[in-house]
Amino acid sequence: MPKVIRSTVIDRPIDEVWGVLRDFNGHDRWHPVVADSEIERGQPSDRVGCVRRFHLRDGRELRELLLTLSDADTAYSYCLLETPIPLLNYVAHVRLAPVTDGDRTFWHWESRFDTPAGREQELATLVGREVYESGFTAIRAHLGQGAAS
Amino acid sequence: MPRVYVSSVIDAPASRVWERIRDFNALPRWHPRIRDSRIENGEPADRVGCVRDFHLQNGERIRERLLGLSDYDMFCTYAILESPMPITDYVATLRLTPITDGDRTFAEWTAEFECAAEAASDLVGGIGQNVFQAGFDSLKRQMAS
Repeated sequence: MPKVIRSTVIDRPIDEVWGVLRDFNGHDRWHPVVADSEIERGQPSDRVGCVRRFHLRDGRELRELLLTLSDADTAYSYCLLETPIPLLNYVAHVRLAPVTDGDRTFWHWESRFDTPAGREQELATLVGREVYESGFTAIRAHLGQGAAS
Repeated sequence: MPRVYVSSVIDAPASRVWERIRDFNALPRWHPRIRDSRIENGEPADRVGCVRDFHLQNGERIRERLLGLSDYDMFCTYAILESPMPITDYVATLRLTPITDGDRTFAEWTAEFECAAEAASDLVGGIGQNVFQAGFDSLKRQMAS
């Protein structure tokens, strides 16, 4: 079962970063691979158990379920319900922590999943680079921080 | 219960930083405020339950017991047994997490304790700055060289 971990430091206060990330339906506003997103059944996006249905830029549709959300821990986790990409039993965790030294934000993003045999490396790289690392870069741009840090 | 939280980024791989701080008897080698340290009863410094007996540069003496140590999660938890500070029930954890972006280290140091209400704010500020942040500043300097 591949495990993918990516982490970075965003040069903005944690309240700002969490303000963007805690919206489970907000990823189409900052993540470059997400074209549109909606929460099913008109539920609020911070209701644990809600499902986001979204499309990638190439038109493929995915559904993800919010498993946990904690303002106290600045963290959430979610799983894939339906995906055209063969990521099976995919569960991901996002966690932010304040870097008090410099008023910055530590961002940890990890997941575990199964894949068809032989595709572990390919899919782990896809998740790590195309989803997590490109998400880091996109949040920096979204928060006006620029590419560096 | 007053709580101290200080975190920083150290520009070195977590495994390298951990090598330095996992030794419960090594404070004088990396923390500028610590003059000397020994482990009581000749026990190994990574034996959970061991006690370090050390002095600050100003001569004050502190004894602390190792409560938890994990090479897997890279954390160390300890409690103060004796100190000149007007606190009780002090438990602290120093934890490292790798930052994959740049192969750096996210370091967090937390403590909780009991004290007189009017002393809390000074103690939280003093421990955070003089002990925790001062330790991180020193590690940042040492790891850069």
